[in-house]
Amino acid sequence: MRKQSMWSLKFSTAALVLIPAAIGINYLGKLFAELLRLPLWLDSIGTVLSSMLAGPIIGALTGIINNIIYGFTASPVSFVYAITSGVIGLVVGIMAYKGWIASIGKALVLGLVVGVIAATVSTPLNILFWGGQTGNIWGDALFATMIAHDMPQWLASFADSLVVDVPDKIATVLVGFLIFKNLPKNLTRMYDSRSEIDRL
Amino acid sequence: MKNGTFYLEKDSIVHDVDPLSKLLFVFVSVGVTYIVSDHSFVLGVFAFTLLLLLLGKVLRYILPIIGLSIVLIFSIIIVQGFFHPDRSTLWFTIVSVPIYKEGFSYALLLTLRVLNMVCAFGVLILTTKPDDLVQSLIRKGMSPKIGYVLLSVLQILPQMLAVTGKITDAQRSRGMETEGGLITRVKSFIPLLTPVVLNSINDTRDRSIALEIRGFNSTSERTFLHETNHFKYGFVIKILLAASLAAVITWRIFL
Repeated sequence: MRKQSMWSLKFSTAALVLIPAAIGINYLGKLFAELLRLPLWLDSIGTVLSSMLAGPIIGALTGIINNIIYGFTASPVSFVYAITSGVIGLVVGIMAYKGWIASIGKALVLGLVVGVIAATVSTPLNILFWGGQTGNIWGDALFATMIAHDMPQWLASFADSLVVDVPDKIATVLVGFLIFKNLPKNLTRMYDSRSEIDRL
Repeated sequence: MKNGTFYLEKDSIVHDVDPLSKLLFVFVSVGVTYIVSDHSFVLGVFAFTLLLLLLGKVLRYILPIIGLSIVLIFSIIIVQGFFHPDRSTLWFTIVSVPIYKEGFSYALLLTLRVLNMVCAFGVLILTTKPDDLVQSLIRKGMSPKIGYVLLSVLQILPQMLAVTGKITDAQRSRGMETEGGLITRVKSFIPLLTPVVLNSINDTRDRSIALEIRGFNSTSERTFLHETNHFKYGFVIKILLAASLAAVITWRIFL
């Protein structure tokens, strides 16, 4: 079995069928977070998990397809954030490959980085499409306060995204990390392009 | 999401239009409202989108979809309306709360754009069967594997939701607390999610074996179950859309 790079565009069937499952996990994470009235979205656990399992390309595809399907079945507004979701998958995939999921401390750093990057990618989208808000009450309250104090719109919008995204993505990555570490080896090996064992 | 999508089976002229034209319409319709910052123009585009929903006999089904974006719309009106930085012209006062013209004018423009975006996507998702859209994309050269992935999400979600119900019941019967303080609720998140995740990742193994047995990785050319395309007006609509986009861009540059 030849070693494959993390950027390989040759998807195994197992990696492709992981995408719908991961999107389902995203949906369930959101559902449980709402059921338990948690103050976070937790709607990208599947994206994060698929990136950890199958690399950045599959992770990014999961993120993008997730928001397209959401657009079709839940709320058209989520089409706009397909880019953000794709970038989340990409970043987690690259950093996981480089060893940032070796321990819980490193996973925390990964979550922080993903949160900041997600906020950075979302900010221009929020400004372009709706003048800077996120639609999250706490974030938007901060946005309104900063705007009222005549701070620049992009700064207020970035702060708005940051307070919403960073805690959410840290929690998401931690949950994804805990699940990933507890998956049986025979499952994780199925997606590992570096493994010596012949894939399905 | 339980029953899949928003698609409604109806007999209308909008249903007869080919899915790719409708997809193009969404992008043009949303695009032009962001290219031109003029209230009456955006209102006009929005009115046209509503007309398409009416022609497609799906106008009243757009309301629940708009309802899903209502938080965002409220937030736009409140935040931009009251806190917009260029607030100078006093419009009128409601119970000693000053209402500024600039902020609300901007909020109105943004709200119209968001409403148009939601309704334009509504035209596509209410009148287009996802299968038809994916098949059209595959005919245009999209990988059939990606097509499979797109459509299988719609099948897998209801299955996963059914499993979720069972797992929630099972965990509750073992005494797991899902009510109470924040810590209690956080603690029950992992035991609820993990079994479903394990279950669904385990299923992917069976699914990939089943798919490979049926020639999923075959490199020979794919055939379609429905060879003929029953949609109309595709070419004309695409030309019209491209022309109007070009016209709007010209207008924006030269006026």
